[in-house]
Amino acid sequence: MLWLWVLLGVLALLVVLAAFGYNRLVRLRNEADTGWANIDVQLQRRTDLIPNLVEAVRGYAAHERAVFDEVTRARAALQQASAPGAAGDANDALTAALGRLFAVAEAYPELKASENFLRLQEDLTDTEDKISAARRYYNSTVMHYNTAIQSIPWVLVAKPLGFRAKEFFSAAGDTAVPQVSLAPSA
Amino acid sequence: MTLQQQIRANRFRSTIVILGFVVLLLLLAGLIGLALDTSLAIVALAVAAIYGVFGVVNSRRLIAGITQAQAVGPDELRPLRRLVENVSIGAGLPVTPELRVVEDEAPNAFAAGLRPTSSYIGVTTGLLRAMPKRELEAVLAHEVSHIRNRDTYLMTMATVFAGVIALVGDIGFRSIAYGGRRRGGGALVAILAIVGLVLAPYAALLLRMSLSRRREFLADAGAAEILSDAEAMALALRRLELDPTTVRYSNSSTAHLWVESPTERVDSLKTGVIEFSSFFNTHPPTRARIAALEEAGGFRLPDRLALDAPFAVELGLA
Repeated sequence: MLWLWVLLGVLALLVVLAAFGYNRLVRLRNEADTGWANIDVQLQRRTDLIPNLVEAVRGYAAHERAVFDEVTRARAALQQASAPGAAGDANDALTAALGRLFAVAEAYPELKASENFLRLQEDLTDTEDKISAARRYYNSTVMHYNTAIQSIPWVLVAKPLGFRAKEFFSAAGDTAVPQVSLAPSA
Repeated sequence: MTLQQQIRANRFRSTIVILGFVVLLLLLAGLIGLALDTSLAIVALAVAAIYGVFGVVNSRRLIAGITQAQAVGPDELRPLRRLVENVSIGAGLPVTPELRVVEDEAPNAFAAGLRPTSSYIGVTTGLLRAMPKRELEAVLAHEVSHIRNRDTYLMTMATVFAGVIALVGDIGFRSIAYGGRRRGGGALVAILAIVGLVLAPYAALLLRMSLSRRREFLADAGAAEILSDAEAMALALRRLELDPTTVRYSNSSTAHLWVESPTERVDSLKTGVIEFSSFFNTHPPTRARIAALEEAGGFRLPDRLALDAPFAVELGLA
């Protein structure tokens, strides 16, 4: 009868370990989802600011239609992109288009001095900073999550259990999260 | 070790420390009961419990009071507020901590609060006048790491508990000094009790500070991770190290809350315990912290710091 108890004990241990491991994967996935929600909030805020900005510039430089169209298109593309990778690319394209819009604005001193424009510019810069902060957090949670589901033993069962690898929110040259040792060395 | 494992280890250590405090408190009460009077021990314990509950409930206000941290209006210091927002987004905090400012020339910062959702970060005006944006961001990230790692929870508890132990020790000590009714058992018990009553506050202090030393390294690493910039944190530490001023309002019971130990150069606390002084430092030496960051980030700090414009200029404070 002893072997039966040993077997039961080992089984119970496995069940406990599996439960802990599963909970960890769920937690990591939730963290990554939260990270994505943080980015989404900021992207939304950014797309909300753009129509006002375009209107502000149009008031002074109505004939610069090509730039307005480009910004509007890039904004629409960002709104439609739902996957993190595509959203990252669309966001970069929008940044480039906005850069051209601001370059146009340079030529209009009255526009540059207008309170409204300055405020919008400040808000946009702030949103961009927040997007990059949110991206760092999201990418590091994705890295932890992906590493976890690609490691033994979870790599064998992650797919059937519905844990799929997540995309990074890419931005040129900033996907790698530096590894900082958390153990104090002194 | 991942961050989550660290947080869990931190929580485990917190539990041990809190239990340690309870044991210390009971021992102290036992000594009072043995040497003086059982009813006095009960009174001391009751006072300790009331003080403890009051302290935990009001910890936010108490710490703000001790550190003289002023709340900032919603439209003031917007660039600084934005930095705090960005850093807490980078750390994945659920809520941006409240911002408070301490009018003090010494550059320093602290974090307080029992939960990540009800925490706040305090910075001195000296910090804003000393640090350029990149380094200020690193200091804020360091404080946000304390909040995320649940260090502020433990630090707040430790502040209150150390206060409780000191209070109970004080009750016992005064009773002896003013000739409380002494129980039979003679001189030996009385001496033991006096030694215990004197040492207990120091033991409490020691416990509290040993806690905080490890956490500083962790928070530095956290700040480096949040900003993907280990050098910024190291630069900020170097600038703090080079700064000769110390925080005026630093009270020894909140010393461990700060990014740089404000009592490091104030020796009042260490008088008479010079040989133990290295144990009593709440923060590991800045040099060791910089070295750890240099190793992790694979860089070496230049010998001299660049003269960047401090963030106060952008805030219109300078």
